[in-house]
Amino acid sequence: MSHLDFLSPDLAADDAVWRSPLERALAHAPEGVEDLTRTAVFEVRGDVDGLEGEVVRLTPERAYVLCPFEEAGRVRMRLTGAGRVVVDASAGWAGLRVHGETLMHRLTDLDLNALPALGALAHVRALVIRDEGDSFRLYFAQEYGHSVAEAVIDAAEGLA
Amino acid sequence: MRLEPQQGERIDRSHEVSFTFHGASVRGFEGDTLASALYAEGQRIFSRSFKYHRPRGLLCCRGTCPNCMVQVDGTPNVRACVTPIREGASVEAQNVWGSLDHDLLAITDKIGGPFTPVGFYYRTMIRPRRAWPLYEKFLRNVAGLGKVDKHAGRASRYDVEHRHAEVLVIGGGESGQAAAREAAAEGRHTVLVDNGPDPIELEGVETIQGTALGTFEGGLVPVDAGLVLYRFRAGHVVVAAGAVEQPLLFPGNDLVGVVLPEAVRRLVGRWSLRPGTRAVVISADDGGLDTLPYLERAGTEIAEVVDLRETRVHEIAAQGRGGRLASVELDGLKVGCDLLVVSGGRQPAYALLAHAGARVEYDDGRGIFVPTDLPPGIEVVGPAAGETGDAAIPAATYNGAAKKGKCFVCICEDVTDKDVKRAIAEGFDSIELAKRYTTVTMGPCQGKLCHVPSIRLYARENETDEATIGTTTARPPWQPVELGLLAGRPHEPAQRTAIHHRHKELGAKMMWTGSWRRPHSYGDPAAEAKNVHDSLGVIDVSTLGKLIVSGPDSAAFLERLYPNRFGDMKAGRIRYGVLNSDAGRIMDDGTLARLSEEDFYVTTTSTGAGAVVEWFEWWNAIWRMDVEIVNVTGALAAVNVAGPNARELMTRLTDLDVSNDAFMYLDAKHAHVAGAPSLLLRIGFVGELGYEIHFPSPYGEHVWNEILAKGADLGVKPFGLEPQRILRLEKMHILVGQDTDSESNVLEASMPWIAKLDKDDFVGKWSLEHVLERGFREQLVGFEMENGVVPAEGGQIVIDGRPGGRVTSARWSNQLDRAIGMAWVPPNLAEEDAELTIKVDGSVEKARVRLRPFFDPEGEHLRT
Repeated sequence: MSHLDFLSPDLAADDAVWRSPLERALAHAPEGVEDLTRTAVFEVRGDVDGLEGEVVRLTPERAYVLCPFEEAGRVRMRLTGAGRVVVDASAGWAGLRVHGETLMHRLTDLDLNALPALGALAHVRALVIRDEGDSFRLYFAQEYGHSVAEAVIDAAEGLA
Repeated sequence: MRLEPQQGERIDRSHEVSFTFHGASVRGFEGDTLASALYAEGQRIFSRSFKYHRPRGLLCCRGTCPNCMVQVDGTPNVRACVTPIREGASVEAQNVWGSLDHDLLAITDKIGGPFTPVGFYYRTMIRPRRAWPLYEKFLRNVAGLGKVDKHAGRASRYDVEHRHAEVLVIGGGESGQAAAREAAAEGRHTVLVDNGPDPIELEGVETIQGTALGTFEGGLVPVDAGLVLYRFRAGHVVVAAGAVEQPLLFPGNDLVGVVLPEAVRRLVGRWSLRPGTRAVVISADDGGLDTLPYLERAGTEIAEVVDLRETRVHEIAAQGRGGRLASVELDGLKVGCDLLVVSGGRQPAYALLAHAGARVEYDDGRGIFVPTDLPPGIEVVGPAAGETGDAAIPAATYNGAAKKGKCFVCICEDVTDKDVKRAIAEGFDSIELAKRYTTVTMGPCQGKLCHVPSIRLYARENETDEATIGTTTARPPWQPVELGLLAGRPHEPAQRTAIHHRHKELGAKMMWTGSWRRPHSYGDPAAEAKNVHDSLGVIDVSTLGKLIVSGPDSAAFLERLYPNRFGDMKAGRIRYGVLNSDAGRIMDDGTLARLSEEDFYVTTTSTGAGAVVEWFEWWNAIWRMDVEIVNVTGALAAVNVAGPNARELMTRLTDLDVSNDAFMYLDAKHAHVAGAPSLLLRIGFVGELGYEIHFPSPYGEHVWNEILAKGADLGVKPFGLEPQRILRLEKMHILVGQDTDSESNVLEASMPWIAKLDKDDFVGKWSLEHVLERGFREQLVGFEMENGVVPAEGGQIVIDGRPGGRVTSARWSNQLDRAIGMAWVPPNLAEEDAELTIKVDGSVEKARVRLRPFFDPEGEHLRT
C-alpha cells in the first residue's frame, strides 16, 4: 500500500461491506430523493487546468474532481503527477439527488442560478450542482449525512 | 346585520362558514375575517386593554392596532380584522378577567391610576425581595397578551424558504405596482410582496402575499407569509410600503366606536357592514372625508364633519357608556353619535428604510417624518416617500382644561398624555429614554399609531420642535411575527460517526461532544474500563480530527508550529504533539505520524479539527511554505482496540506482522484490516497495548462488526467515552479543554519535555521562555484522595482556608481501588506526596499529590 491508500474506499477487498451514511435516513424517503454517496471525489491542489472528469473549481489552484465510484482508480492515476497534491476525499462525502426549486429554496440560501457553488445546506456546508431542469446534486460531509438527509426528507414532506 | 348586497363586496353570501367565539357559534361568509363576521353578529367589544382593561373595539381594520387581538385555536395575539374566517376555529378574547362586557380588572381603570402610573413596575413590588415569587405569580396572571400553552406542541408547521430576486418591491399599492411593472419590463426578475387582502396579478412579476418584516444588510428582507418565512436576497429593494393613518389625541380617543378611515372603508366596502348609525368625522386630510360616500352607502347618518384644514378646533372630547361611544364634544358643542371617524393625516411608513440605514427628517411644513439619504440598492416610491397629500398638522392633544377622561397616546400599552408628561417631569426628556420608560411604541403596533403623536406631544411639553425631539430607532420586525415562524424547522445538525447506528443497536447511551454524537457508555462504565485492563476493549474514535499535511516543507512547517521536533522523525513513526497558540497557551493535542518524506498524518482532539485546520492554513499563508493541508476528518473512521488481547485480535484481522519487534510502540503501518485499506497507529491513550485503526468511513460498520465477531472469544467489548476518561486519568493523560484552559501552557502543565526550547523558533516559544523567566505560578499534578471520596470537577483546592487551586478531573478507579484526579496547584505543592486539601460537598478532604501516572508508570503495558 502506498502512504495515502488508506483514504481510498475503492481499494478495499471485495468482501468488505461498503455502507452509505444515508442508508437508514433514506429508508422511507419520498420518491425523487436518491443517494449519490457512492461517488468518487478527489481534492486536487496545484495545476487544475484540463483535468479529466467532472471538475468543480474552487480556486485557481484547487478543485474537486467527481467521477463514478467504479472509475476511481483510473481517474486517481491520471490525476496524479504534474506536481499536484491529490487526496481521495470519496469517503468523506455523502451525496443526494433531489428535484425541485422550491425544495432547494427550503434547504439552502445559495442562488440556484449561480451553481455549482459551495454554501450552507440544511445548516451544513455543501457542494451544490444543478443538472438539467430542476435536478440538483448535493454533496456534504458524510458525518453530517444523516442530519442532512433528515432535513431533506422533512422539507420534501412539507411540500407534499 | 349586513347591508344589501353591493358591488365590490368581498363576501360570498352563498357560502357560510362557522366558528365559535367563547364557545358560542358564529356564522359568517366566505371572504369574511373573524372580526367582520363577529361585527355582523353585533360584537363591538373585541378585547380589553393591556393595563386598564378598558373595552376596545375595531379601530384600524387593517392589522395595525392591537384592539382586535384574539386567541385562535390556542394561538395568542391573532389580529381578527385581517384573519380570514375558518370553519371550526375556536376564538377567544384575551386579556379578559371575567367577560368582555364585565371585566373584573377594569377596576384598575377606575381606581388604579394613582397606583399604576407610568413606570410603576420599576418602583413597586420589589420589596421585600422574598415576596417576589408571589408578586411574579400575580403579575404573570394579570399581565401579558394572550396565554401560551407551555405544554402544547407545535400548532403549525413553519418553513423557511431562501429566495433571490433582482428587484424586490415591498407594497402592492399603485406606486408599488408601477415600480414592479417597470422593473419587469426591463427584463429583471421582479418579486412583489404585498400584505393586502387581495391577490395581485402583474405580468412578468412574481407576487407573494406576505409582510416584509425588515431590511437587513446585503439586501436581506424576511417576509412573513403565514406558514412560510421567505428570506429574500434582493439586488434592489423598492419600498412602497405606503403611509399609516394617524389617530388624534383627545380624551376618550380609545372608546369603542372611534375608528380610523380605513375601518369604515373596509367594513362597508368589503363586508357590507354598517359601522354606526350616527357619525362624526374629524379629519386632517382627505382620508376622513373619503369615508363620507361609504357612510352614506351604509345608511349612517352624518352628524358632523370637521375638516381640520379649514376649521380650527381646540377641544375634542369623546364620552361613552360602558366603554362605547355616545357623544363627542367639539369646542363645547356636544354631538350624539356612536361612530367617530378620525384622521390625523398619514405618516409615511419609513421603518423598512430606516432598518436599511436611511435617515429620517421632520418636514415641519406637513408635520410628517420623511426618509432621506437612502443606502445603495434601496429605493422608495409613493406615500412611503412622503407623497401623502395635503393635510393639516394636528395639535399634540385636543385636551381641554376640564378633566374629561383618559387621552391615550399609546393604545397598545395604555399610556396616556398624563403618563408622558409625568415621564418628562421625572427627567426622561430624551425620546429614546422615554420610550424605554413609558413603553410608548413598544407594543404590538410597533409605533405605527403612536410614534408621531408621541413625538408631537414631547415637542410641546419640552417647548421645542419635532425635529429636535427626533425619532426613536426603528428596529425589525416591522410587524409582529410568530416566534415559530422565525425558528423554522427544528433541525440541529449533528455529526455522526460511520458506526453511530451500531452503537445505538448495542444499547449505548449517547452524549454530545461538540456537535458529535458519541457513546457515553454501553451501560456500565466501570465494567467497560475493567474489560480493557483484563482482556480487550474497542472504542470508536472516528471523531478525532484528521489532517494530511503534505509537501516538501511539511516537516519544517510542523517544526515551526509545534514545540517539539518532527524533522528528525523517520517515516512510519509517531510522535505526540501539543499545539500552542502564539501566546504559548495550549490549543490542542494529538499524534503526528510521518507517512513519507513529505506526508504527515496529524490527529487533533474531537472538537478541535476545524480550529486546527484554520490555524495551520493561517500560518501557511504567512510563511508561504510549500505545504498543503487537507482535512480528512470525515473521510476516515477510526477505532482503538486496547487490552492484553489486542495483538491477538490484530493477527485475526490483518496479514500484517504485528509482533512487538515488527510493529513497535509508536509505529505507523499500512495494512488491510478486515479488508479495508487502513493506517494502523500503535499508540495507547488508555494505557494498555493498543492499536488505532484508521480506514475509509464507509467501512465503519463492517470493521466494527468484524472486530466484535473475531474478538468474541478474546473477550472484546465496546467501551464508551466515560470508561475512556477513567482509563486515561489512570495514565494521567491530559484532556485539552478539561485539564487545561485558555491560560495553560505546556511547562506548567507538567510537560516540559515537549518544549524544545533549543529549536530556532516555534509558535509560542517566546511566551514559554517568558514563563521560565517569571517562574511557575501553578502546576498541573495528579492526586489521590485519602478517604476515597471523589471530588467534583472544578472543586477547590483549599490552602489556609482560601481557594488555592482547582480540580480538573476526578474519577473512581476500580483498577487502582481509589479516587484519583488531576488539579492545578501552587508550585510549592507540586511535589510527590505533598498534602492537598480539597473542598468536597462543603467539607474539606485530604489528598496526596502524584507526579507520575497512577497506572503502569513505566509504560510496560503499552510497550509489551
